[in-house]
Amino acid sequence: MKFLDLIRLVLGNLNRRKGRVALTAIGVVIGTAAVVVLVSLAIGLQRNANEQLYGIGDLTQIQVSPGYSMEEVGGGRGMSGVKVAMAGGGSGGGSSTGTTLLTNDALDTLRALPGVVAVIPRDFFYGGITIKYKRLEGGANIIGVGSSNLGELGLKAGQGSLDLGKGTIIIGSQLANNFYNPYLRPGQEPPSPPDLYDQSLSFIFIKWDNEGNEIRKTVALHVVGVLTETLGESDWSIYMGLDDLKAYNEWVSGTRINYNKSGYNQVVVKVDSVDHVVDVNDQITALGFQAYTPLSFVQGINNFYQILQVIFGGVGAIALLVAAIGIANTMAMAILERTREIGLMKAIGATNRDVLTIFLGEAAGIGFVGGLGGVLIGWLSGQALNVVAIVYLAGQVSTQGGAPPSVAVYTPAWLPIFALLFSTLIGLISGLYPALRAATMVPVIALKYE
Amino acid sequence: MEDTFIRIRGLKKHYLMGGTLVRALDGLDLDIPRGSFSVVMGPSGSGKSTLLYLVGGLDRPTSGQIEFNDQRLDEMDENQLAAFRRRMVGFIFQSFNLVQSMSAAENVAFPMQFAGLPGKERTLRAQAALESVHLADRALHRPGELSGGQQQRVAIARSLVNDPALILADEPTGNLDSTSGISIMQLLSELHHAGRTILVVTHDPRMVPFATQCIFLLDGVTVSESAYRAAAGLK
Repeated sequence: MKFLDLIRLVLGNLNRRKGRVALTAIGVVIGTAAVVVLVSLAIGLQRNANEQLYGIGDLTQIQVSPGYSMEEVGGGRGMSGVKVAMAGGGSGGGSSTGTTLLTNDALDTLRALPGVVAVIPRDFFYGGITIKYKRLEGGANIIGVGSSNLGELGLKAGQGSLDLGKGTIIIGSQLANNFYNPYLRPGQEPPSPPDLYDQSLSFIFIKWDNEGNEIRKTVALHVVGVLTETLGESDWSIYMGLDDLKAYNEWVSGTRINYNKSGYNQVVVKVDSVDHVVDVNDQITALGFQAYTPLSFVQGINNFYQILQVIFGGVGAIALLVAAIGIANTMAMAILERTREIGLMKAIGATNRDVLTIFLGEAAGIGFVGGLGGVLIGWLSGQALNVVAIVYLAGQVSTQGGAPPSVAVYTPAWLPIFALLFSTLIGLISGLYPALRAATMVPVIALKYE
Repeated sequence: MEDTFIRIRGLKKHYLMGGTLVRALDGLDLDIPRGSFSVVMGPSGSGKSTLLYLVGGLDRPTSGQIEFNDQRLDEMDENQLAAFRRRMVGFIFQSFNLVQSMSAAENVAFPMQFAGLPGKERTLRAQAALESVHLADRALHRPGELSGGQQQRVAIARSLVNDPALILADEPTGNLDSTSGISIMQLLSELHHAGRTILVVTHDPRMVPFATQCIFLLDGVTVSESAYRAAAGLK
């Protein structure tokens, strides 16, 4: 039997009992719609969560700190970090703790790891600070970066450049909001945030001597760039060259800092692709350093949402399972009613396979028609849910802050196709037993059936 | 010597009905010549229809042989039997067995779908078959819109479309009035004269004049006409 003839025959047979087919298909419609809406909801939630999570920072970066451990680590792999013996703390007995320092040699080792694009040391300012711009004052997180271009950290310039030189700084997108007028009288309108790009800011570094006297040092630094918003640490930070920062920290501590001896406090390792981050992270940990990547957190969240998708999809699938019983029942009834027709088909030359294909086709047809309706209703319900949810969530964001949601329910292109194939498959499986019964009927018994 | 088309030897069909063993056919020997018009007569339960279904490959014998054109039907598997029914046999039933949702032309073309013929050829052949039973003008009518005689003509047209060598008819006039019955007998006779082998199972004695061979069955075996008449209480 030709495929087109089969399709025509199946459609004709389904058309013959429209009412029953429609009632059976409604079950499939509900099940498929439930699968589409619930899985879309889980995917939408995941996308929203990811959008919020990407604010954590560049997922291709790993933050590395010196390692503290109880035993030798990494020595067999050309470890070039410096191990420093420390006191055992009284309770250690024979054991000793060691610190794996982030010296320049250690940085070279990190650079040699496969997939590593850049290794950038960072440090923070440890003293007190006040920043002045005209009559305004503010504070900030000051970060020294061992790189002449912040682009290496995945940052982007909103204004100016990303190049750091001596005596220059690059500021985060929200920093201007940190400035306030200390001389503002009650009732006076606070000034709008200043445009700090290409301006000089006065940095007043503060330290205290042994008698508790405050010592100040004022330095003018020029803003050569303003970063774009990242929703992360950089938005509220000031970036300067590591050498500049080192000089200010030396002034605060009153001692010379030798990174080759004391090691860096933190190093950012930039990896070529998100796919390699976990692997590089593991290698760094194996070298004895502490490594942290937000990717593992994001992956954990993603795993959670994937489980949620499976659970939601499972709930929809239960509805489809109920529909499958309906299809099986409808097909069993159809076969009883059409027993003589089955006998006739065999008498005029239909093989068992022909009969099986016809009845399987009808069952799959009910699944397909129901699936089509379900996909349509599921998609429309998703859109309606989106409108309602976005209005509600946007209202929440305006009162509680945070990034506004783009969508609440997201239906990827594969989902309707999958749902349609799945509902057709459910129909096919439901029709298997009745169709097999039809196919294996003895023709003469079928013809004599009353 | 006549050319034997169907050779039946020691054919038995036994089955259980409500715990009782029914011997529908009990060692039947029969030869059906090529191009004959054979009429099988016998009282109810004599095994007429069982014989017809076994010859048509719709049922399997308990034992015995059915040779059709030197092919053993009783040794064929399901697919071979389906192919045999498709190519060699045309069935006509007492209750017509037309698909009610299909038009007359679609019913006639139905067997050709399983033969895998292209749509255009199916339409042409169905039209020709309907013309041969004088129903070309009713091609688009559904069975419910046709009389009993017309429905049986559609069934005859359907039995002809695959150009089978053998036509098997099970009580073809059983559900028809006498006029329609006669016209169906004449139609079968026309098919016989066109060279086909016809095997008809019937109670209707009016079929006998059209026959070239009459077979009388009693209790699953062939008997002489006189034995049959005595058993049936006929003169």
